[in-house]
Amino acid sequence: MGKLLAVIKREYLERVRSKWYLFITALGPIFFGIIVIVPMVISSRTRPSPDLSHVAILDATGTQLGVRVSSELAGGISASEPSRAIVRAVPPSELAQAESVATHEVMRAKDPLMGYLVLDSATLAGRSERYAGRNASALVDVKEIEGAVQRSLLAQRLENEGLQPTRIKALTDVNLDMKSERLSERGREAGGLASALFSYVLAFVLYMMLVIYGQQILRGVMEEKTSRVAEVVISSVSTDTLLAGKVIGVGAASLTQMVIWACSSALVYKAKGAILERFHVANVQIPLPHIGFGVAVLLLLFFVLGFIFYAALFAAMGSTVSNEQDVQQASMPVMLLLIASIVFVQPILLDPTSSFSKVMSWLPFSAPILMPLRMTMIQVSSLELVGTLAGMLAGCIVATWFAARIYRVGMLMYGKRPSFRELGRWVRRSA
Amino acid sequence: MAEPAIDIQQVRKSFDGHVAVRDLTLQVPRGTVYGLLGPNGAGKTTTIRMILDIIEPDAGTINIFGQSSIRGRDGNRIGYLPEERGLYKKMRVRRVLRFLAELKGVRGRDADERIERWLERMSLTGANKDWGNARVEELSRGMQQKVQFIGALLHEPDLIILDEPFSGLDPMNAQALKDTVVDLRREGRTIIFSTHLMENAERLCDALCIIANGQKVLDGTIATVKAEHGGQHIAVALGQDRSPAINDIFADRALVKTLDDSNRTVDIELASNASPQLLLRRLIDAGAIVERFELVQPSLHRIFLDTVGASGVEPGMSGHG
Repeated sequence: MGKLLAVIKREYLERVRSKWYLFITALGPIFFGIIVIVPMVISSRTRPSPDLSHVAILDATGTQLGVRVSSELAGGISASEPSRAIVRAVPPSELAQAESVATHEVMRAKDPLMGYLVLDSATLAGRSERYAGRNASALVDVKEIEGAVQRSLLAQRLENEGLQPTRIKALTDVNLDMKSERLSERGREAGGLASALFSYVLAFVLYMMLVIYGQQILRGVMEEKTSRVAEVVISSVSTDTLLAGKVIGVGAASLTQMVIWACSSALVYKAKGAILERFHVANVQIPLPHIGFGVAVLLLLFFVLGFIFYAALFAAMGSTVSNEQDVQQASMPVMLLLIASIVFVQPILLDPTSSFSKVMSWLPFSAPILMPLRMTMIQVSSLELVGTLAGMLAGCIVATWFAARIYRVGMLMYGKRPSFRELGRWVRRSA
Repeated sequence: MAEPAIDIQQVRKSFDGHVAVRDLTLQVPRGTVYGLLGPNGAGKTTTIRMILDIIEPDAGTINIFGQSSIRGRDGNRIGYLPEERGLYKKMRVRRVLRFLAELKGVRGRDADERIERWLERMSLTGANKDWGNARVEELSRGMQQKVQFIGALLHEPDLIILDEPFSGLDPMNAQALKDTVVDLRREGRTIIFSTHLMENAERLCDALCIIANGQKVLDGTIATVKAEHGGQHIAVALGQDRSPAINDIFADRALVKTLDDSNRTVDIELASNASPQLLLRRLIDAGAIVERFELVQPSLHRIFLDTVGASGVEPGMSGHG
């Protein structure tokens, strides 16, 4: 047991101490932040600026129109914060001077205004209004200001016609929030797109982890073999212990990385509002699927079993090569299993309930990627999940059995790469 | 008689039709330096791997300190330096040694103290440079070999197996290694080393075994081997260039059985019916100026060549002993 721990410790610490590992681990939350925040910053170009009301309203109408517009810009009746607009009642003759002052206020370095809005007799007549500001080229901002003035003018006219202000508020308080639902022949829940995107990212991350760490194990085994350090190690521990220690140590390193990514991404998601505020972008809740404790444990189980399955096979293949040139060819059979899993992500994403999707998510080699994909998209029955996990466990036992036998012989065999027939002989020899 | 450190009985091992070791029987006495000699492909490394339990013999038994070769033998009593050197290149020296110590059950402060002691003894730490914190790949080949040697000794094993320990070492490092081997022998440990360098074997070994074609050719203490190898060996040095008459004497098979010409000195094994007196008389009669004429024991090198010859390598075997 002490020797197994020594191997696990070496494999784990040497990986997590490497610059590559630290760099990639740090990159995770940054990458997550980029894929969450950048689209929101970009999409903010289609949303009004959050401090739209930070303007000067030069009201030359002689009415209360400016005050109404100020209130509308802050969000109307449903506004959560008071308007920041500065309303100035200006006689028409002094409008030019007032505009000059407002221009200065927009251009100043300290606490500048977003812009200024001019309301005059033409506005009252329902013909025109003028706006000048830093965001004057932002179509959505201009549309929002235009809408605010239109609503305010309408309210004022209605009041002039004798309607009570409270009645006007009640009539003009229209603040529709459109919830979009994806409709297909299968039907979808709210936020379906975000859920599918999450599942896709999850499947992709699992695939990447299996490929990257699987390849690391393969190369590690090959280096141990070609540098002949393996001979010293297996004079002290059995090849089975060495293989197990390698799989557990590297698996723990990858799991650590995933946990760090998950936690740091959750923190980034939580701090999303503050980050977006720095970009002057309003915070929006993304409807991600709820990952409860049970689902998290299941995801962990699928990853761990998948990792054992692939790591054992990669290690076995690593023990069959003696030089760098053969690495690609040796890893190909295992890579094909992984590629066969990832190419079916798209069809399963489109139709997670089809028989094909079900079968693909049950197979031990594709289950580690495709079942987490399905179960975060749709409700998968407990029976299906338990059955798949049992199948994966059986797959792991068979894979490690074969891998251990190939590894036992391969680690001491040098020279040309063995054929499949020779590998079969190795398995029989050490059985 | 004390139980031998290693007792190999009728061990056989073959790989895909090639017999690497053929019914090998030998005993390594405790507390000795034992040489395992043989050409490449003779079966030395396979024998060593079986002693280490890395591979199992097809037939026969191997007992180490009285324990059989079945799995579970106390491997912590054995230290091993393989022929082909290798360490984790990216790891720092102390961490590698710590790992190797842990594999042998030495942990914590105890491991650290032993590592420091050995690094100092092998001149890998000093006032100028502490190689213990360097990555293995930053070390010269000789230094890497010293680190690996330390790794084989950290757990203070009773049996130390060194496969070609002197290959690739400069004279300074080779001397340091020889000194350590002698110290270990004085501490009562048993050391087996396989080598091609007969001079080292002759100077260091108490006993030896020569194997070829996977079979034992001869074994025993150095003195017995030399005595058993018998023959009359004479070292001759002449004070002039050899005349045709002298060359004729050396070529006379009734007088000279084998001849090893080392330019200034010629090592001669006399034919069975010849005598040193006859050879000396013939040389003087031929006008030779004899500077040295000495009855000597056969060198290990000579014995090795005579017993193994050019046919000691199993056809089709790899380059491993």
